[in-house]
Amino acid sequence: MDPASSGIQEPFDLIRLSLSERVFVKLRGDRELTGVLHAYDGHMNLILSDVEETIMIVDQVEGAPEGKGTVNVAKRKMEMLFVRGDGVILVSPPSRT
Amino acid sequence: MSFFGFEQPLNLESEKRKFRGSGGAGKESEDIAVYTWGEESYDGLGEELQERGDELNDETFGGAGVVGKDFDFSNTGHIAEKPPKPADASRDVRPLSQMSEQQALPVASQPSASSRPVHTLESVWDDKSPFSVLPRMNVNGASRTDLHMVAQSHTPQPARFSPFTLDNDVQSGPLSLGGSLHQGAHTLEEIEAEMRAATVARLQQQQQPQPQQQLPLSHSGQLRTQVRQGTPHATPTPPPRLHPHSQSPRFHHQQQHHQIQLIQLQQQQQQQQEQQRQFFELQELRARERQQLLQLEERLHLEELERERQRQMRQQQQQLQNVNIHNQLLHQRHASGGVISPALSDRQRRASPVVNNHHNQSQIPLDMPFRQSLPYLPQDIQLQQRLLAEMAQEEFLRNMQATAPQTEREVREERELQELLRAEAMRKIMEAERMEEKRRRKHAKIAHMSRYNDLMTQSDKDFITRIQVSQLVTQDPYADDFYAQVYGAILSSKMGVQPQDERVLKFGSGGGVGLGLAQKIPGRRQSAMQRMEAQVERIVNNARLREKEKISLNNLQGALGKTSGRSYKAAPRQLLQVDSSTSPTLSPAHAHISKADALSLRNGEGAAREAAKIGREALGTAAHTGDLVHKDPLTHREALVIIERLYDVVLDIEQLRRDPPRPEEEREYQAWEADCGFHVAQLWDGLRVMVPLETSIPHPFVSLLTPIKGKRLLPRVVPHLSTQQMLTVLTLLVACFSQLDVVIKAPVLDSLQQTQEDKEVEDQTQAFMLHTIHSILPVVAKAGLRLVSGLLGLLLERSDIVAIARTRPGLALLTLFLSRVEVIKQNIAAATESSEAPALEEHDQWQLMFDHLFQLLMPNILLLFPSIRLSAVVGMPFSNIPQADVMDQPVWQYLAAMALHASAEQQQLLVTSLREIVLENVTSVHKGWITDDEARKMRLANVNIFLHALGLDSSQIAM
Repeated sequence: MDPASSGIQEPFDLIRLSLSERVFVKLRGDRELTGVLHAYDGHMNLILSDVEETIMIVDQVEGAPEGKGTVNVAKRKMEMLFVRGDGVILVSPPSRT
Repeated sequence: MSFFGFEQPLNLESEKRKFRGSGGAGKESEDIAVYTWGEESYDGLGEELQERGDELNDETFGGAGVVGKDFDFSNTGHIAEKPPKPADASRDVRPLSQMSEQQALPVASQPSASSRPVHTLESVWDDKSPFSVLPRMNVNGASRTDLHMVAQSHTPQPARFSPFTLDNDVQSGPLSLGGSLHQGAHTLEEIEAEMRAATVARLQQQQQPQPQQQLPLSHSGQLRTQVRQGTPHATPTPPPRLHPHSQSPRFHHQQQHHQIQLIQLQQQQQQQQEQQRQFFELQELRARERQQLLQLEERLHLEELERERQRQMRQQQQQLQNVNIHNQLLHQRHASGGVISPALSDRQRRASPVVNNHHNQSQIPLDMPFRQSLPYLPQDIQLQQRLLAEMAQEEFLRNMQATAPQTEREVREERELQELLRAEAMRKIMEAERMEEKRRRKHAKIAHMSRYNDLMTQSDKDFITRIQVSQLVTQDPYADDFYAQVYGAILSSKMGVQPQDERVLKFGSGGGVGLGLAQKIPGRRQSAMQRMEAQVERIVNNARLREKEKISLNNLQGALGKTSGRSYKAAPRQLLQVDSSTSPTLSPAHAHISKADALSLRNGEGAAREAAKIGREALGTAAHTGDLVHKDPLTHREALVIIERLYDVVLDIEQLRRDPPRPEEEREYQAWEADCGFHVAQLWDGLRVMVPLETSIPHPFVSLLTPIKGKRLLPRVVPHLSTQQMLTVLTLLVACFSQLDVVIKAPVLDSLQQTQEDKEVEDQTQAFMLHTIHSILPVVAKAGLRLVSGLLGLLLERSDIVAIARTRPGLALLTLFLSRVEVIKQNIAAATESSEAPALEEHDQWQLMFDHLFQLLMPNILLLFPSIRLSAVVGMPFSNIPQADVMDQPVWQYLAAMALHASAEQQQLLVTSLREIVLENVTSVHKGWITDDEARKMRLANVNIFLHALGLDSSQIAM
């Protein structure tokens, strides 16, 4: 497909493709989100619905060697979420099986 | 000279004299500068010198005698400066007498050029005329009033409204002489200080014995005529509003507490004024007839003012006492009893000196000489006073009819009444004060804000407005204000208001400003909005005018000969303007990014070959052609890209349709129509409906329907497509029904687990039912029997009908077909001999299709029920499946439709196969296995839908 006719001229156009689709969002602070993308802007502020947030909590054991801490995963769900753009590292369509 | 209020006029004079003296005396007296002026031995030469060159002063500054004195309101200058200049007294004799002669002249006569000017310094200092005295007296009265008020434990505010100060201030204008001659700007404090000093000085003076004053009798007649004429020299009476009695709250308060005493005090003060004036008159032996006349006039005026004030006071009190006529009468009697005429009150005061002394002890020393001096008053003045008093009394009698002597009881009643009135008055006064305070605060605020008024010129403001407006103006005002506009439209339609036109300000050049939501609240914002609109309109119009001017200038190009080899006309005219991209943010810099994309290259090559096919395929989607271009199905990403583009196109079309040009403007209208057609064609191509069926599996159109937003797109596309196009869409959809994601993934729903996928499929199914099926519904509703038969045949041919029938969308589609045919059949039955009655073979064809469907579905008809499928998976009785009735309802509806079309033996078959589930449901309801009333009703209703189609009812079933 011709790139001009496909309407993809800038990176944000790729995010546009995922509007009203489920997306995977990686956030700073060891957090990940999956949810349906409803809106975004130039700051990567996002509005997601039906969100599941995954938080990685790394417990560094005292005296243990580097990288040997245990990782706890906490999850929570939200109906609707506004994600501030400065925390967004990555936005992608969810991996399809 | 002493004019213009020089600080040290004497010094100036002395300087001048010094200069003249030294110049005139010559060299011999140069080193012996002996100035004898101001001493006993002074020869008066200085004064002679002084006069030279002053001849024209009168003409320059006006005649001495008739100089307007109404500019002197404070009259402080000579009072303040008198005490420190005692030395002048020795020289006063001659100038003073001259001055007196001058003043004695008739008003009309102008001083001759040779005569001395009246307003010399000496004349000012030596002014013993009654006019110079009056203001001092005024000060006296005012300060006494002040003292009195303070003694009554009130703020000194009423003193400002005191009748004495007020009247005297007014009077001092025309009567004071010379006070303003050397007076600069004084502050209020200065003036007050001077006044006090003067009062003290005068009090000492007043102790001296006074000589008698002779007044010619002839003046009394003159006075009387002037009274009738209304005192031409008199200053206007202050308006009633300004009067102390009607304004000062404290006045009423005083009245209540010390009413009689107060009146007597007033009388006393009046008397004192009179006496003082008389006292000073007597003191002025040299004052001549004119002055006396003026003085009398003044006094007359004062009395008149006094009477006027009394009248007003009475009126005001009457207003307050409107409550009770009796009380009013009482009060009137009292008021008339307290008539204040100088002569009367004089007698009263003499009759009760104790009261006076008791209430104003500070006045005792003042009173004493006056009382002594009274008998010496000239006869005609007393006569005059008596006359005036009688006149005043006459007036009172006329006004009030009855005047009875005041008794103690009446006074008491009066006091009680006053108490009530006072409360009322106080309340009103407090309110008025609050309002005043509010007003003042507001005024202060406005004044504070207005500091920066007019800092900007109009052009500055216009400049800023232009900047602001230029930020607002866009090429597409509606789209830029889209959400507000749409929200406003939804809101207004929700409220039942006729949806108004788009709130957009448009300009001919294509620009415009979105105005957002309609303002509900009229007021400042509304008017500001209107002003903004007008301003923007004007600015834009101006800009357009400039543009036109530029164009007209261009027309002149070449008028003076060719300036360049190549004319602008040589440039080839662009015949066609094609939107290179739907994206408004097209920038060439990005264009190369994915050019190397192999996939896109291949697609580009394929597109050309495909285009050739489309023409042949247009005959029908079901048509088979030999040379198909098989392609990979659209990837999910490709589908998303196409959908996004289609949304852009849809938005463009919607925007275009929103503002069509008027049909009168033919050219524009045609252009618009062409534009619309172009966009619709783009949309149609984008939907890929005409792509041959076998191109890919799933079909590209189905791929586009896979994402949820693709499903939602269809209802927005439908209004722009023709009926034929919609039929094609429907046909394609039926033909590719088994390829739909919602059909393929439907079995996922047959589980009780709520997984993410479950939810996803559920959402997709919901969206498909709500948007896609809904948008094809009108097409099916208008379809003829032949088309429905064809569609059913297509469905049966190309899909596994059993699988489709086990999905919600499939079941919905089948129900749709069956009910449409049922409607057609009813129409045929209703319209006998109708020309539109379908041909027999059509009916036969339908029957054939239906029989085929029936045969296909019959073996596993129970599996149509989701609850039964679920129970098979989970292993529990179907009637125990939660939400079974909700899930089964569409199936019951479909079975009812089937039963309607079925022949007798088909119905028999149906009942036989469904007997078990019907009985199970009915017994579960009747045996009370279902506790929920709602669920029981629904289960029964479901069964009844089917049974009614057969002409039965659940109540007929015997348990």
